[in-house]
Amino acid sequence: MGTVKLYLKSMAMLLKSQLEYPASFLMQTLAQLIMEGGEFMAVILIVDRFDHLNQWTPGDLFFFFGVMSVTFYLTECFGRGVTGAFPSMVRMGQLDTLLLRPRGVLTQVLCSAIDPRRITCIAVGAAALVMGSRMSGIQWTFLKGIALAESILLGGMMILGLFLIECVFCVYSVKSVEMVNALTYGGRSACQYPIDVYPRPLRLLFTVVAPFALTQHVPAAYILGKPLYHWPAWTAFVCPLAGGMVFAIMYCLFRRALRFYRSTGS
Amino acid sequence: MSRVKAYLSAFRMRWKMELQYRGAVIGGVLCQMFFGLILVALYRALYAGKPQARPIEDVVTYVWLQQAFFRMLLSSDGDLMDKIRTGSIAYDLCRPLSLYGYYYARIMAQKLLGSLLRAAPMLLFAALLPRGWGMALPSSFPALLVAALAVGLGLLCVCAIENITMAFTMRTLDSRGMQAMLNLLMMTLSGNILPLTLFPDAWQRVITLLPYAQLLDAPIRLYTGEWALWQAPRVLLTQGAWTIILLALGLMLWRKNQKRLVLQGG
Repeated sequence: MGTVKLYLKSMAMLLKSQLEYPASFLMQTLAQLIMEGGEFMAVILIVDRFDHLNQWTPGDLFFFFGVMSVTFYLTECFGRGVTGAFPSMVRMGQLDTLLLRPRGVLTQVLCSAIDPRRITCIAVGAAALVMGSRMSGIQWTFLKGIALAESILLGGMMILGLFLIECVFCVYSVKSVEMVNALTYGGRSACQYPIDVYPRPLRLLFTVVAPFALTQHVPAAYILGKPLYHWPAWTAFVCPLAGGMVFAIMYCLFRRALRFYRSTGS
Repeated sequence: MSRVKAYLSAFRMRWKMELQYRGAVIGGVLCQMFFGLILVALYRALYAGKPQARPIEDVVTYVWLQQAFFRMLLSSDGDLMDKIRTGSIAYDLCRPLSLYGYYYARIMAQKLLGSLLRAAPMLLFAALLPRGWGMALPSSFPALLVAALAVGLGLLCVCAIENITMAFTMRTLDSRGMQAMLNLLMMTLSGNILPLTLFPDAWQRVITLLPYAQLLDAPIRLYTGEWALWQAPRVLLTQGAWTIILLALGLMLWRKNQKRLVLQGG
């Protein structure tokens, strides 16, 4: 319990410090809004030209886009320590101080940064979600609500897990390895659209290696009432657990990597 | 004559510096290839549902050329901002050269080498992919020549745009928000996020006349033959006109900025 309290407290402090420069903050938040708005506009324009994508209607596509944006940017907002700040911590030797304190290293890394500018991206995603839900005429039930929450939560854990790969590499090589971006940002832009439109190798990659399909698409398709691959309803609740697994595996690797850690000095 | 030599040596210095980061280039290119594959897969799925007037090969070629010359659009001279922040811009002001010309030469070297280093492996990779996935050959040999000429004009144009962006950002010390917004505008309106050929037809009539469409969109359309050879003079003239207008505007802004530039001491 103490950990959660600590996390919330640091988030509040970081937020306050970021708001110290309101003009710059506002400008950057606005830039994020336009960025994500641009991405959404691309989906709208595609829908305008092509009407549909396999069996998916425009509403369905907006819904998929919304689930992905909300999940990804919530993770980037609250997991900024892992998704952005960690490589520089290793390079500058700041990780040393974290190792001295009587708390888990990952907890402290997560507590060290927040990215509130993403709030506008999350808002665009939420708008897409509502729009898609309206257009596709989703009948919301309690179970569907749970499926959505599970998808966002466990999808977020999976994304954190994928970013942890970069952190692990970083401990060994000091330099950040941008190749991992292919999985994280590549996964985000690919899996804005349902997985079954892609050819087999890409489908395998985003189901087995980086299971965006299991955490996002299976529950979203269930909510839309068009189960992916005609899988039964319970899969929508079990598949997202893969996200938790990715996180657990990467967490273990991260712990091992830390044992290898050698400070870069000051 | 000696002044031209000075700009050329500014160009050469920057060129050598860019060559230092070959390792980063390899990682970046691999990522870019992966992104390209995802986009191609997506557009293929969309085309399978509803074929368009222009064949899929054109869109695929469009994607690969955009990915290959991506660095021509998105790279900016970070040094200048640092120099303004720290006050060491004073050294540049002492040079018996136009500040505008000096930075124009630098950004040109950066963009030219950045995109050449990346384009060569990317285009080779894209050419080796099977038909319908990889890049198609140009519609004719003269079309290739005209397209190459158009890329050259596009480069002159984008460097002028970059200098205007810098002129705007020079006025504030923290320019991240402004820069992000202008970059986004460039990525969207130059066809990097979504090929301009897939925008609604009515929009295209306006968008293709804007300066951003002159950078890569116009050369690509000449390459694929969407714009026939007899239209080439009109395209090249549009490009040339924009280049002159943007150069003049940039020069004016820089002159003005130079007069009210504040040197940060320290």
